[in-house]
Amino acid sequence: MRETIQKTENREIEKEESLSISLKVEKFFSKPIYRKGLDAITIIFFLLVIIGPIINIFSTIFLNIPAIKNDVFADSLLGNLQWKNILTSLGYSFSVAAIAVGVDIILAFPISIILTRYNFRGKKILDAIVDLPMAVPTSALGFSVLLFWGIFGVEPGFSLIIFGHIVFTFPYIVRNMKIVLEKSNTLYEDAARTLGASGVTVFRTITLPMMKQGIIAGAILAFTRSLGETGATIILSGLVETSPIMIVGFRRQLELPSASFLAGILIIISLALLFSIKILTRKTGFPIKSVWPRIERFFSHKYFRYFRDIMALGVLIFIILVPAFYITAQIIGEDFIGELFLGQDYKWAFLYTSLINSIQIGALAVVINLIFGVPLALIITKRKWGRFVTFLDTILDIPIAMPSAALGFATFLFWGPAGLNIFQSGFSMILFVHIAFTFPYMVRPIIGFLESSNKGVEEAARTLGASNLTVFRRITLPNIKQGIIAGCIMVFTRSLGETGATIVVMGNVRTVPVLIVDWVEANAFPSAVFASVIVIIFSAFLIFALRAVTKKRSD
Amino acid sequence: MTNIPSIELVNVTKTFNEEKVLAVDNISLEIEDGDYVFLLGPTGCGKTTTLRMIAGLEKPTKGKVLIDGKDIEGIPPEDRDMGFIFQHFEIFDHLTVWENVTFGLEMRGYNDEYIIQEAEKALNTVGLSEYSDEYPSIFGNPGMQKLGIARAIATGAKILIMDEPLGSLDPKVSKVFRHELRNLIKDLGLTAIHVTHNQEEAMAIADKIIIMRSGQILQMGTPYELYENPNSIFVANFLGETNFLQGFVLKLLEDSKMNIWIRLGGPKIICNNFNNKFILDDNIIISFRYEDVYLFPVDYDFDHSTYDWSKMQIFKANLEAARFVGATKRFYLMLDCGDRFLSIKPGNFEENFIVGEDIMVGLDIDDIHAFKTPENLLNELSLT
Repeated sequence: MRETIQKTENREIEKEESLSISLKVEKFFSKPIYRKGLDAITIIFFLLVIIGPIINIFSTIFLNIPAIKNDVFADSLLGNLQWKNILTSLGYSFSVAAIAVGVDIILAFPISIILTRYNFRGKKILDAIVDLPMAVPTSALGFSVLLFWGIFGVEPGFSLIIFGHIVFTFPYIVRNMKIVLEKSNTLYEDAARTLGASGVTVFRTITLPMMKQGIIAGAILAFTRSLGETGATIILSGLVETSPIMIVGFRRQLELPSASFLAGILIIISLALLFSIKILTRKTGFPIKSVWPRIERFFSHKYFRYFRDIMALGVLIFIILVPAFYITAQIIGEDFIGELFLGQDYKWAFLYTSLINSIQIGALAVVINLIFGVPLALIITKRKWGRFVTFLDTILDIPIAMPSAALGFATFLFWGPAGLNIFQSGFSMILFVHIAFTFPYMVRPIIGFLESSNKGVEEAARTLGASNLTVFRRITLPNIKQGIIAGCIMVFTRSLGETGATIVVMGNVRTVPVLIVDWVEANAFPSAVFASVIVIIFSAFLIFALRAVTKKRSD
Repeated sequence: MTNIPSIELVNVTKTFNEEKVLAVDNISLEIEDGDYVFLLGPTGCGKTTTLRMIAGLEKPTKGKVLIDGKDIEGIPPEDRDMGFIFQHFEIFDHLTVWENVTFGLEMRGYNDEYIIQEAEKALNTVGLSEYSDEYPSIFGNPGMQKLGIARAIATGAKILIMDEPLGSLDPKVSKVFRHELRNLIKDLGLTAIHVTHNQEEAMAIADKIIIMRSGQILQMGTPYELYENPNSIFVANFLGETNFLQGFVLKLLEDSKMNIWIRLGGPKIICNNFNNKFILDDNIIISFRYEDVYLFPVDYDFDHSTYDWSKMQIFKANLEAARFVGATKRFYLMLDCGDRFLSIKPGNFEENFIVGEDIMVGLDIDDIHAFKTPENLLNELSLT
């Protein structure tokens, strides 16, 4: 080193100092006052768009107690029939969610193990296909499930709802189990085996406790998604009414007090579920103490493993994958050309405008959530505001847990004629609701990348003379880029697939998932098939893009 | 050159978690222009926090940081013009080697010609110029840290701040690297602060060492001063290999000397009592370095030796074990009272001592340091 130091007296160059425009601007806006301003705007947006409607719906319920009492509990003709119906609908919603999640969990154990611990050809493709139902609009999935089980004569009703819900909640559970399995160290399992534990014992005493968080998080997410689902349920329900369907019904018949009452109940339930995640993950224990080595050694035999894997794959294919995508095969047999393109009612024009609406709403939701999501992610990861940051972090997940129909109705009450009267039902209101329920999907991945990214490089950049904003552009942004892209795709996908929230606030405007529901209800099956296949292909493209983006991170 | 210190800390305190954790406890220090100063202490002693406050990455809870006599409170890190070198390098891995080195120059708005000249100079200095178009991921730890150094010095900052810069390197590599680092800093005429918990590293290349513990400064001085005159049991134990024995003051002597008795049954020896710090019957701890213990055969004839023995304390000890460890030989000794201590000699030290038998031990008065017995001796003797 020493020898290579060059004396530079003989080639002294004048150093001129002139910061480039972008560095000057960034330096100027890096002053604490601007940062505080941006923080304040972000938090106000967050509270107004997400928390405002929820608080508002409870105040609405409170102010309308007499009307609710009159409509729900003591109608002059029907008495408390409405209340009994609400309880029945809650019963349906909970039993559907519980059964679907139960089946999912049992099936997800072997599937998540196959997808993480085994190596075989086509593993990546199977993995993507298992994820796919998460991205496809539930109304398209529901329609596909309807057509598939129709072959076997299963009529719309309770059991068909369950079949539908198993399909679209399964990816949430597998995904979360896979994440913890991938993170957990197989050395512990190896250690247990060298100590003489058989395969099943290792699974019960070592693997299962490590998967605990993933199982609970996945189960609650799937449970809340099932509880709040509208699009597929409308198509599969027949005469059965789940709670979100009932909200849609109340809204259509303009029974606003009843609708807000039921929406309030659903919001409280979902909040309780959300907060139970944190408590449950901490306190739940698995039976690891009592040991039944002989029985478990017997069941550890490789034939049981083969049996288990084959059964699981069979169920996966027959109950989930084939019903979900059966519709794509249907397109060949259907005469959609006559109905869709040559019919007197210009169905193709409706499809075209609703597609444009869906894409516009999705794109705008992405842009707006990007503008406010990045600052909020920075606030949650970087600011040292103690409890307030924990509070923001917790309430951020509320829209994920809440039935979208209830959130949509709350937003309608808050911004619509009954509340602030800023927006009417229609495009802008749909956009607002979509911004609200997709917001966490934008912020979560960015937080994930921010938390795992190295804070030292940011400090290094500052000691080298970069202002806060310059550090963000040159150092932080390249590190979290994939998180942002992942967030954008997630937001767009969720917005594209949403039915319940849209129906409640749409007025005359249609998005594709709602159009599919309309056409199924009107028995225009060929057109509905065509629309479904289009969105399935579109979503498949998105999910593969998402996987390509998030995969790069691990390389 | 002025008398204003380059870096000065005045009564600086830093607490974390709403004053629950006291990281730095009211410290003051001055660093002269062009000095290479080490902050040395065990993990969690507050040395890194001190460093980060100088760089502006942490705000002092109380007190002032002055650079060239000016209070720099409120000046963000990017405007402090200091080079910072990190333990884990913190290289921008999405930028090339060249982009890493030019980053700081670019932020200062220099013209292109100057940026190219200075970046080339910095890369030459650390010997990485041939890699300028590569991404840093091709480097191992030493290459990463060379890049970290080039990046920090390229800006022309006159103060270099280093947080365990050699801590992530292999011990053998780090021993060579540290001399290169010192030469580079001296050649560039930088004022440097180097944080480490590695005593040997500090002793080898520091101009001055500041020893910290539990958020406080225990002692500062040149490596020689600290080693020869530790002001506390902790410093004596932390730097080098040291024997500690318990005793009490038996008799106060003239010339600021005292006679002490190493426990009942142990030898009585004379040591310095500067400023008459100790009084009769005080419980004290004496310390002496392993290498300062002289060994003689039990029948050695001191009276007819040419050496001046007037300052030497001679007493008997039992040789429990002798171990040859390459460059050195270690002798494990026990006094009659049961206390044990060590002597260390060069590997080629010739002796014919027999393990299990008595030998004579000599200690120079000036090599013995006496400390008051602290309330919690184990705490003082722990290295954290």
